[in-house]
Amino acid sequence: MIRRRWLLFLFRLIVGGVFIWAGALKIADPLEFAQSIKNYQVFPHGLAFLMAIVLPWVEVISGAFLIIGVFKRSSALLISLLLIGFIGLVGLALARGIDTSCGCFGSLSRRADFSLILTDAVLLVFALTILFTRPARHNP
Amino acid sequence: MIRIRERTTTLGSLVRGVAAIIGLGIVLGAVFHFPLLRRFAAGEFRQSFIDRREYAGIRFISLGETQDLFAQKMQGDAGLLFIDSRSRDDFAAGHIPGAQAVPLDEVQRPEKKQAGPEFPWTLDFPGAQTLVVYCEGGDCQTSIALAKLIHDKGYKDVRIFSGGWSEWSAAGLPEERRP
Repeated sequence: MIRRRWLLFLFRLIVGGVFIWAGALKIADPLEFAQSIKNYQVFPHGLAFLMAIVLPWVEVISGAFLIIGVFKRSSALLISLLLIGFIGLVGLALARGIDTSCGCFGSLSRRADFSLILTDAVLLVFALTILFTRPARHNP
Repeated sequence: MIRIRERTTTLGSLVRGVAAIIGLGIVLGAVFHFPLLRRFAAGEFRQSFIDRREYAGIRFISLGETQDLFAQKMQGDAGLLFIDSRSRDDFAAGHIPGAQAVPLDEVQRPEKKQAGPEFPWTLDFPGAQTLVVYCEGGDCQTSIALAKLIHDKGYKDVRIFSGGWSEWSAAGLPEERRP
């Protein structure tokens, strides 16, 4: 039981840390992130701009909440949904032959390729584990 | 019955938590980036996400302006240069006569740059004062990224032909097919 708790905490640290880091880099340069969103050729221009303003903050908040344990499962749910969206977006870009930077870590972004989908999938497994693991009941 | 109610409550609290995080994200984003939102509301960033203060030398031009510049180039204006940011294959299939190929995918990923004399691209354009960058047109974004890189190199008159190759060729304007 103790080992499982530590494992879950490790998952929270990893997923939360990645989201805080990713969000903070994007907050530093929202126009670059807006351009990255536009490069996927899915979202209209204005929506890409608004997403670039809000999404990094949602990433930072959900990542921080996941680590400190506030709205823990809601954060895990939101992060899972975001990761599913990212995987879908990168998959779509690959299917359409769009060769672009992922935009996931601001200026430190890598290419939107299959290895990125795998990374996101691992994070998704961690996030879903946090979401679906019920808190241990304390018997009196 | 109790279990169903418990699950509904759990789902409700999950959704409320998600809404709270998104709401907080909207508030913090709006407060932190308020100056940027004001500039957007004033009409900036409608064509691209280029920061005019940082990239003062970049501007977008129409097909008509591009045609005028092309005519100047044909009359021997050596300070004018057309740059094609598309892939090698796209460039080889057809481009604006006299344009220089600088495939953005190779600029960003030097390992993709192939040896050979046919595409000796660099980001140095000796003698060029006005550079017209274009890509495929439509929703293509490579010309914007390349224009920023060229501007960063110190060129202060970089124009992006947003209609790109598709608009140029659809207008029946001169084409060149060899590299």
